[in-house]
Amino acid sequence: MLALILPALVILVAFQIVPILIGANASFRSWSLFNPQKTFVGLANYRRILADPLFYGTVLPNTFLFMLASVSGGLLAGLGLATLINRRFRGQRLVRTAILLPLMVPPVVAAIMITWMFNDQFGIANVILEALGLEPVAWLVSRWTSLAIVIGTDIWLWTPWFTLLILAALQTLPVEPHEAARMDGAGPWQVFRNITLPLLRPVLMVCITIRTIDAFRVFDIVWTITKGGPARSTEVFSIYAYKQAFVYLNFDLGAAASMIGAGIIMVVGGVLYKVLSYVVEVSR
Amino acid sequence: MAQVLMKDLNKKYDEVHAVKDVNLHIRDKEFIVLVGPSGCGKSTTLRMVAGLEEITSGEISIGDRIVNDLPPKDRDIAMVFQNYALYPHMTVYDNMAFGLKMRKFPKPEIQKRVQDAAEILGIQELLKRKPRQLSGGQRQRVAVGRAIVRHPQVFLFDEPLSNLDAKLRVQMRVELKRLHDRLETTAIYVTHDQVEAMTLGDRVVVMRDGWIQQVGEPLELYSKPANKFVAGFIGSPAMNFADVTIADANGVVWAETPGLKVRVPPACLERLRPYKGQHITLGIRPEDLHLAGGADPSEYTFDSTVEVVEPLGSEILLDIKTGPNMMVARVDPTVRVKVHESIRLALNPERLHFFDMKTEAAI
Repeated sequence: MLALILPALVILVAFQIVPILIGANASFRSWSLFNPQKTFVGLANYRRILADPLFYGTVLPNTFLFMLASVSGGLLAGLGLATLINRRFRGQRLVRTAILLPLMVPPVVAAIMITWMFNDQFGIANVILEALGLEPVAWLVSRWTSLAIVIGTDIWLWTPWFTLLILAALQTLPVEPHEAARMDGAGPWQVFRNITLPLLRPVLMVCITIRTIDAFRVFDIVWTITKGGPARSTEVFSIYAYKQAFVYLNFDLGAAASMIGAGIIMVVGGVLYKVLSYVVEVSR
Repeated sequence: MAQVLMKDLNKKYDEVHAVKDVNLHIRDKEFIVLVGPSGCGKSTTLRMVAGLEEITSGEISIGDRIVNDLPPKDRDIAMVFQNYALYPHMTVYDNMAFGLKMRKFPKPEIQKRVQDAAEILGIQELLKRKPRQLSGGQRQRVAVGRAIVRHPQVFLFDEPLSNLDAKLRVQMRVELKRLHDRLETTAIYVTHDQVEAMTLGDRVVVMRDGWIQQVGEPLELYSKPANKFVAGFIGSPAMNFADVTIADANGVVWAETPGLKVRVPPACLERLRPYKGQHITLGIRPEDLHLAGGADPSEYTFDSTVEVVEPLGSEILLDIKTGPNMMVARVDPTVRVKVHESIRLALNPERLHFFDMKTEAAI
């Protein structure tokens, strides 16, 4: 038995447990390239991170805003699309394939495309605005338009994933309760609200849980589109930790930030998991 | 409370013509049962009345309204499904109240109606439970309750007892009948079980391949089946059939097949006259066969060999062979016969059935 799990165990320990322990260790020390002593400093690094106005004033709000907007946007779009294509119509397969296409685009490629679309001189967005007789907008020089573009990109990337899961769930839902509700006097919207949606709840909750945890660590599209700018105003958690560690070479602060992030996501994940179990229980 | 009229009703799917020219007048307060083997179009017919399937051609009216283009919710009907179709995320109370809530009934009225229905069905203690905490029989009661709280014009039942075990099915059958007597609402009931059809229906509609075969009161279907299919479908064990030749010998008409020679009763002579010298199908119900005694006239008896003995307690079923024909006889439980034994059977001449070989219609 032990021999069988040993390879997996070795890999797990070598590449996950040990690095986590090293990182955790680093977060309690003064650990930088020019301080070979790695003095133990207790919680000093944590105090510095938590007292950093950028961290609590910009990074955390950005991260949670991104999580909330991206997950709810993707969920709503996915739910809408899945409901729309969950019926027989001509060209159904084509539409389904087209909807799934963004899943096959690497996030970085998508982000580069988006960056160009919103380029203030050559971007298609401004071309359209000008064609409509409106003033062009310098999209990526303000915090809110930049964040909106990042969030929009993420929704675009992840909507197919939501669609796929929700569509699969829709197709396994029993037909009879829906028919019974129609006979009971419910119109299409009421059937959806009172029957379909409650029956979908467990799947929706799984989607929300997975994507929320995932959205917390978003890095690639934010880095590609804004690099956290302008003036660090769109930094999210993982960019902040990355910059601390590998741009400013404060390994200790980066490690502390990561540990704090791990703590936050454990709490968020735990709460979501509880909600998920509850939802599955009540809608069984 | 309403009558239901179906006029030249047809349903075509891409390749399948599921329901063909169905004409049916269901009277107010009547309990009508659609019965037939699977794929005969009975469920499709019911679902067209419900509004869950579109009508290809023809007309359905409920009360005095043509409902062809009305969505299910505006037809004022309630349906009980085979697999109950309860709303799994709602309590029993909410399941039953749902239709009333959708129709914006005031809360006290909803409460009263649900309580009343729960009382009728004996499920008052279950109102706070979820469907998954109920047994099959309890779920079916809730499904029925959900239908009756609405006081609809017509009840539709789509094989509601098929998912229950045999004992519960018999019990629920009786309860449904009692319920119908009490509520006096028009009901259309679909089943493939002819016993259910016979026991529940004021009238029974036998269907096959989308066609109505016969409409009639249960005993009428049993004693005067319109064709061979109805004769074979209604009654258990099924009617015995034998291909016979009608032959005239010295002024006496016989129905003959190897191993079996039966005199055509005088009452049937006139009807069989055109078939002289031709093949027709003879039908005998198992209960119209008995062990021959001294009093049985020889022209209504025949010899046979017992192949299988099935003692059921209240009766014994004998699978017998006479000539090339296999038949089933239903005899008294006191009869002692063994397998491979040769016995002489008598048949009841007043209860013989004759069918045309080509059209299968009763003669």
